[in-house]
Amino acid sequence: MTETHLQHLTPDEIELWAQGLLPAARAPHLAQCVDCLATAERERKLFLQLAQLERFGPSAGFVDRVMAQIRIATPSGGFNGR
Amino acid sequence: MRRYERPIFSLLYRMMRDRALAEDLAQETFIKVLNGIKSYRPEFKFSSWIFKIANNAAIDHLRKRSVDTLSMDGAPDALAASALQLGDPGESPLQAVEARELGSAIERAIARLRPEYRACILLRHVEGYAYEEIAQMLDLPLGTVKTYIHRARNELRGLLEDRRA
Repeated sequence: MTETHLQHLTPDEIELWAQGLLPAARAPHLAQCVDCLATAERERKLFLQLAQLERFGPSAGFVDRVMAQIRIATPSGGFNGR
Repeated sequence: MRRYERPIFSLLYRMMRDRALAEDLAQETFIKVLNGIKSYRPEFKFSSWIFKIANNAAIDHLRKRSVDTLSMDGAPDALAASALQLGDPGESPLQAVEARELGSAIERAIARLRPEYRACILLRHVEGYAYEEIAQMLDLPLGTVKTYIHRARNELRGLLEDRRA
């Protein structure tokens, strides 16, 4: 058993595991450590919940309101800003 | 602009918890971006640049107002009643109610985080940006971003576990 095999997973490694990217060398520890597995499962659940949060949009006409305030350069070097 | 409209507005809405203010700041962000497009440096990702401008607008406003970690008692309905986007058409009414309750609980928990933790966790786990990009957006050292996100996750888990207790 190597020293790496005994070390608990770091937060970065838990995140890698949740993304399916944990290096194979660290997988045996997770398979044997109840604490790390419980922490990893809790973290994965939180990541999923955050990723599923609603995306909000601004009200109708938002783009028009922004574009009304954009300065557009004219061929003479001036701006058409409103 | 369409591509960033919702992500930028969502970030600002969750940072400010005020729809009208979030919309003003989103508008300010896009105006700065579009009027200052010549100052964009292509060595940075465009998304990093636009989120940086939006986050600076939010932080400046929060500093001016001295708003810190407010309760969600006065939160707008849309945020307080936010549901998770489970995307399951076969979801039962009970599952839909549970998803809505959980979504609201997460929104309340996010609102209780310090603004800098809130920005980091939203950019990482809602918008999906890499740590390095977040460090660039927020002008913070990479180690600080990792620490903020780790602490924010611990706080969120604690707040969500308290809800179940």
